[in-house]
Amino acid sequence: MNIKTYRLLFVFVVLSLTFASCTAPSQPTPADDAKVTLRFWTHTNNAFNAGYDALIKSYQDEHPNVTIQRESFDYELYLQNLQTAMPAKEEADILQIFGTWTSQYYERLAPMPAEIMTLDEAENQFYSAPIGGFTVNGQLYGLPQEFNTEYGGVLVNKTMFEAAGVVYPPVWKTMDDVIADAVKLEANDSSGMMSVAGFHFTAADPLSFSFLAGIKQRGGDYWNADRTGFTFNTPEAKAQLEFYMDAVQKGVVDPVVFNDTTNFVIDAFFTNKVAIGYIGTWAIAEGLTNFPDFSDEWGYFFLPPIQGEPVFVADSGWGLAVSPNSKHQDVAWDFVKYVTTVTANAESFNIASGTIPALKEVAKSAKIDEEMPWVGEALGTLPYGEYLGNMPDRDLVIYEIIYPHLLNALQGVETVDEALEAINTEANSTF
Amino acid sequence: MTQSVKNKNFSTSGLTKSKNRFVSQIVIPLLIYNSLGIFILGWAFILMFYNYSPGRLGGPILGLGGSNPFIGLGNFSEMFQGISVKSRLFLVSLKNTLVFAFAVLPLNLVLTLTLAYLLEEIGSKFKALYRAIYFLPVLMSSVGVAIIWLSMYDPQAGWINAIVRFFGGQPVAWLSDPRAGFLGVSVALWAVILAYLWQDYGYNMVIFIAALQSIPQDLKDAALIDGATPWQTFRLITIQLIKPTFLFVSVMTMLSSFQVFDIIQVMTNGGPGNKTQVLMLDIYKNAFRYQNMGWAAAESFVLFLIIMAITLFQMRVLRTDWEY
Repeated sequence: MNIKTYRLLFVFVVLSLTFASCTAPSQPTPADDAKVTLRFWTHTNNAFNAGYDALIKSYQDEHPNVTIQRESFDYELYLQNLQTAMPAKEEADILQIFGTWTSQYYERLAPMPAEIMTLDEAENQFYSAPIGGFTVNGQLYGLPQEFNTEYGGVLVNKTMFEAAGVVYPPVWKTMDDVIADAVKLEANDSSGMMSVAGFHFTAADPLSFSFLAGIKQRGGDYWNADRTGFTFNTPEAKAQLEFYMDAVQKGVVDPVVFNDTTNFVIDAFFTNKVAIGYIGTWAIAEGLTNFPDFSDEWGYFFLPPIQGEPVFVADSGWGLAVSPNSKHQDVAWDFVKYVTTVTANAESFNIASGTIPALKEVAKSAKIDEEMPWVGEALGTLPYGEYLGNMPDRDLVIYEIIYPHLLNALQGVETVDEALEAINTEANSTF
Repeated sequence: MTQSVKNKNFSTSGLTKSKNRFVSQIVIPLLIYNSLGIFILGWAFILMFYNYSPGRLGGPILGLGGSNPFIGLGNFSEMFQGISVKSRLFLVSLKNTLVFAFAVLPLNLVLTLTLAYLLEEIGSKFKALYRAIYFLPVLMSSVGVAIIWLSMYDPQAGWINAIVRFFGGQPVAWLSDPRAGFLGVSVALWAVILAYLWQDYGYNMVIFIAALQSIPQDLKDAALIDGATPWQTFRLITIQLIKPTFLFVSVMTMLSSFQVFDIIQVMTNGGPGNKTQVLMLDIYKNAFRYQNMGWAAAESFVLFLIIMAITLFQMRVLRTDWEY
């Protein structure tokens, strides 16, 4: 071949690649209908994936022509994969999606067909907080599998309670009772550094979500009337942050040594550095798996509201959605429906993953209470849960604005007023 | 004669064809490979003029336009206002990156040049062993190094605080106390700088050793005969002769310091209170966690401009126009 031939070959290769990347995915052929292979992406969580694998197997047994290949990625890598694969239309057919992501990705997700489930049907079957996350502009884009609540639940170290002479199981009628117990449980080493936190509430999710719940319970709101902006510089927000400041002053936790990056709740609780640890139920399965040598007796309890009804906000939870680029959307939706709405299947997933049910019917099941008594504790609070609301960027607002400024105030870097003003200004700048 | 010329022409033509074929076979794959890199750079260049998120569908051409609107220099003008959270974090990250790079560079140069000089000048049969020991951290993964230092800095169980306690001092939350500072810089940032220096110093040390070994012994002997002290020899001969190496090491250290990412992500993830948030981490978070790819591209361009300006400055100051 001479140089001209190579030039032509080069041009041909480049043009072929260009056309290949620009053409739409081919439509399924009749032969495809006979044998269907679906790709299913999840994030890496052993307990969750064990639940998925069992359901994939039972679905495949019922549908021998369907093969579902599950692929898992670490959380951060999963986010990157979605962001690069979606514009390239290379994402899997079925996607595990966290409810609050839906408002950011909905343009790249398949709307749920009415024959699978209407919004009314979904709102009847699922709790409002989890289904709210999968709804954008009145359209469903997926179905939830869990009610992810970071509010209200605490891990309690029974051994420490008994050693400190604190009543167990705890009798907490008000949050002041919790703080009073925590003061008795905290301990410092000989150099004065906190070695056991009485009440570790200073990780990102517990602090942020209890702050939002506290605003609601005090009769306020962090949304403006038409939900086009945030209102964090309110008396209710100030009262809630002052409550935390007071708890830190009383010494229940040192927020410099116990926070989201240093002595995170799960690690610290299961290594005997925390007596009362504020964390969602999802942490229990993870903690017991990661710390098999933890030998103290423990329990999981719910905190009383700061005042009034125990209303709280939740940011949906993990669930399943379907790619609009899937060649077999009908089968993919059928699988999603099978996993999320068939009571026995949803229940088996919640038990395997240690999560709170999103489906109301599952929450009534005696098996849940039997297998996961700590989840049983949560069930009574679920009707009080509201969806967090579709923020422009939930992660940015929670993890870069609300939590850092709350922690700054608790660590003495900002005053209460400075922290709230900064949260208000910065959160509104995300619109 | 005619036959000879003909043969010569034939042979030259054959060689040319063979050369062309070889060049084509090498160049075409390289062109394809490089075009990918150029495409990525070009894509980043375009993105910085858009409010682009991969989660949004956008317009028909590459997702640009529509819900991913063109905003011209909007990202750059917002960047330096400091009002939005993105802007505040950018300014904090920029400041931290500059502090990090300008602290690492002199510390690294002093440490590595001193060690290299000592190893070269003080003869020892263990020289090779020392060199290997000093170089070992370079071979470790950054994540591994970060985890080692993370455990050493642990406020309760770390051995650094154990030493502090042993001497009756007050333990410090090295990586999580936003109030603790030294010379106006957060203790957390100093702690990360120390870990970074530990991992990185062996590399520059080996380069300096090579440079020191290349200095002709005659020059040093001549200085000795002329009555120069060891310090004068070091300052007026050694330093002058390793200037090109100095330039190379300075530029490379500065470049890698501006691009520091993994060790900080693992050790602090930018905390406490963004005291260790650097530009690369901010770019990563914006691009892949918060999906502000347009903003991340604009930040990358600013980082590129800063690195280019500093590199040009270093090359100007440290250039030499002689060889030996």
